[in-house]
Amino acid sequence: MDSALSALRAILKALIETSKLSKLYSRGVHALRDLSLTIDKGEFLFLTGPSGAGKSTLLRLLLREELPSEGELKVAGRSLADLSYSQVQAYRRSVGFVFQDFRLIPRFTVFQNVSFVMRVLGVQAAVQQRKTFQVLKWVGLQHRMNSLPEELSGGEQQRIAIARALVNDPQLVLADEPTGNLDPDLSLEIMNLFREINASGTTVVVATHDRELIRRVGRRAITLDHGQIVEIV
Amino acid sequence: MRALQYAFDEALASLWRGRTSGLLSTATIAVALFVLGAFLVATSNLERLGAEWSRAAEMSVYIDDETTPEMRSAVEAMLAPGPLIVSFRFVTKLEALERFKQTFADLAAAAETVGDNPIPASYEVRLHTTPGSQDAVDELAARLRRSEGVVDVRYDRQWLDRLLAAVNVLQGVGLVLGAFLTVAAALTVANVVRLALYARRDEIDIMRLVGAPDAYIRGPFIMEGVLQGGMGAALALAALATVFLAIRGRYLMPLAAAVNLSSVRFLSLELCLVLLAGGMLVGCFGGLVASGGRDS
Repeated sequence: MDSALSALRAILKALIETSKLSKLYSRGVHALRDLSLTIDKGEFLFLTGPSGAGKSTLLRLLLREELPSEGELKVAGRSLADLSYSQVQAYRRSVGFVFQDFRLIPRFTVFQNVSFVMRVLGVQAAVQQRKTFQVLKWVGLQHRMNSLPEELSGGEQQRIAIARALVNDPQLVLADEPTGNLDPDLSLEIMNLFREINASGTTVVVATHDRELIRRVGRRAITLDHGQIVEIV
Repeated sequence: MRALQYAFDEALASLWRGRTSGLLSTATIAVALFVLGAFLVATSNLERLGAEWSRAAEMSVYIDDETTPEMRSAVEAMLAPGPLIVSFRFVTKLEALERFKQTFADLAAAAETVGDNPIPASYEVRLHTTPGSQDAVDELAARLRRSEGVVDVRYDRQWLDRLLAAVNVLQGVGLVLGAFLTVAAALTVANVVRLALYARRDEIDIMRLVGAPDAYIRGPFIMEGVLQGGMGAALALAALATVFLAIRGRYLMPLAAAVNLSSVRFLSLELCLVLLAGGMLVGCFGGLVASGGRDS
């Protein structure tokens, strides 16, 4: 009875579950191999490992940009492979993402870059403005809202990218090497933002090869190598 | 509604950004629809004039100056109103001469110098324009030619039939040429929209990743095609109207005696709207093709 209850508790607690997940590319490269892991709701998890370990592949699978070759990937109890096109769109609205290269739209101002997400989801203009201002204030860049991305430093650009990921109140935030282009001090500043996001209950998965940063933040870290888990800290 | 507004705003902004290439596809649509419209104007007017001339189709039966009243009675008996003939009217030599002088004022003096009136009297016969009556009319003309006192029989039905057949051919050529140019225009729009799509691929990537609906992702590109098509069609109609008015004033006014100018008209409002909608549809198709394909 106790074991059944704890199993149920585990299921309710888990946000992401992978079971023997594999991703094989057409040239025979195994990016992921039999990966089984669970990420709980509200968890802050690092994915680390050398280049080509499979970190970015796992994030792409979690964004449902790609489909697994074998195994299963479930988010909130639903297999991502079984989602229809419109369900994929709905799922992505619950996920925020941050990239190493920021991917801000150069011709848009800071404000437009952040509100763009809500604009293309058909959110009312008044709500767009209110939430954009709130999230810019939260990342401390409300005073730069009329600037263009090229006028900002790397750290500021990444904070805008984080604001864009958060503006739609996602249940899950994925970040692929978000500090890859930043110096150590700025990297810690960005990680502190992720910690704050996580403190509000949002699940955060960050892929990074920066072990020092992981040590300083001090959260669970899964090390991948050749598509397999080699260490859990 | 918000998606439509978004598509419209983005399409306008994109058209402004890529105005040079946008101009190219707008011009291509304009040329295609101008050609199609020109054929439509020409054929619809020729058809209308042909129908008018057909309604007024007449047979002229010229009679000899020496014709006796008996001979004329025999001819008039053949021209009695019936399934083929609506009515007939006798035109005297004097009346025919007056008409000649009015129509060919320059030659009036020459006609005077001839002395005796050289123009024969005639019967002007109005015919029914029922389809398939051609053989019966031919037979009547042959019988009249064989009658005593009749010197000639002329009727304009044959050239009218040839004209109407030529209009049909012209319509066919116009449609084929128009269709060909329209496909070319659609492909040009598709390529121009694809360029706009390529220029905004970062935005589109982000839109896909945040789960934006298709209406927001593809809508602006389809709207861009529709706007290009609409502008091209409007341009074509404006150019067509200008050319039409110029030709009407310059070349048709002098022919007012032969051509009923009130029957020479520009395209009807319905056809203008059809061309406008057609341009938009071609643009929409181009936009759809360019932005096609789901990439989830």
